[in-house]
Amino acid sequence: MSEPFEPRLLGLLCSWCAYGGADTAGVSRLQYPPNIRIVRVMCSGRVDPLFVVRAFEQGADGVLVAGCHPGDCHYATGNVFAEQRFARFAGLLDFFGIDRRRFKLAWVSASEGARFAAVVTEMTEEIRALGPLKMKAPAWQA
Amino acid sequence: MASLIEQQIRTRASTLLAEGRIDGFVGYRQGSGPLRVAPFVARAPAEVEKLVWNPVCAPNLAGALRKYAGQRAGVALKACDARSVAELLRLHQLDRERLYLIGVPCRGMLDPEKVTATAAGRVTSLAEEGADVVIGASGETLRQERAGLLLAKCAGCPAAPAEWFDETLHEDVPAPPVGDRFAAVRALEALEVAERLDFWQRHFSRCTLCYACQTVCPLCFCKECALTLERDDPRRLAREPASVFAFHLMRAFHLAERCTGCDECERVCPEDIPLSLICRKLELDRLE
Repeated sequence: MSEPFEPRLLGLLCSWCAYGGADTAGVSRLQYPPNIRIVRVMCSGRVDPLFVVRAFEQGADGVLVAGCHPGDCHYATGNVFAEQRFARFAGLLDFFGIDRRRFKLAWVSASEGARFAAVVTEMTEEIRALGPLKMKAPAWQA
Repeated sequence: MASLIEQQIRTRASTLLAEGRIDGFVGYRQGSGPLRVAPFVARAPAEVEKLVWNPVCAPNLAGALRKYAGQRAGVALKACDARSVAELLRLHQLDRERLYLIGVPCRGMLDPEKVTATAAGRVTSLAEEGADVVIGASGETLRQERAGLLLAKCAGCPAAPAEWFDETLHEDVPAPPVGDRFAAVRALEALEVAERLDFWQRHFSRCTLCYACQTVCPLCFCKECALTLERDDPRRLAREPASVFAFHLMRAFHLAERCTGCDECERVCPEDIPLSLICRKLELDRLE
């Protein structure tokens, strides 16, 4: 009676670009997988890697952080900070054994509804292929 | 039969305290056996006789020093401690004006566990003789080559810059031990991602979330930590694997720019989780 695996994605989208992009995708009736849950943040630079780790801890199979294209940040440099921070963070995720494809940083502008739909579709399919992120129970519980 | 370095440290500490240049001198005192030392602060010239310097002075004094931040303190630092102190100074946690730093030449510290493993029975004495150490255990004496008993972190130790100290103690000391400190980390990185997840989960499954690694870390100095779970938090009580994993991953990220590779986290870990691999990884990332 096992159900087919449906990945659970968390999207942390910047209020000015990516969230607008998601809105555009909706308004223009573009289809994209319903697996993503979206949280609006004021800037991709606001996203603490702790948010991503907590998402994985609480059962997310993948996390998407999306913000404005470089140079377009509403707060001038927020996305630059995000990029530097997550470059280091992605390396550590990999070192600890979480597949790099489970975490994605993407730039989506408010007008790019099609791009947002494409990013979410691609990521959902990748993670569907990877399977669920499972933390095994410790030996003393098994 | 104090060693030359020990005598020099005592003399200097005594003089500095007597001159009133410092309020306390941070060093080591002998612990509950020949293989144990504990950080100790001598506050008067009469107390300097308790200061020791021996081949198992591994604990990082930077952590002890941070507790006395704001006071005028003298301290004897080996290279790894000095790197931690330099990092604390960079992060404005210590005031350089109030410190008197003495550089101590170090040719690597011994791993008490390795020493215990070589001897049958309880180790009752430990002495250095040239390139060897003489271990006394249950009435017998053993002679072992020093290089074989060193802590893993001592291999390929990048020495601290001498000009940075207020003074450096001189003794004819050979260069720190050589070796590839990144061999284990590179081996782990060569594995498949899934195998690495398996590796870490196997080790983290022993973690009891005692937070000793965080408490001992000289560079974890936030007053309140976003990662620490309350004692009665269900995730902590159940040692939720995902929560343990999240803690270690975020601890690594928070230390990414700071970790100086003193390996205190691994030394204090009651479950022997190889946390030094994380330190080496961070070090490697910064080099690249």
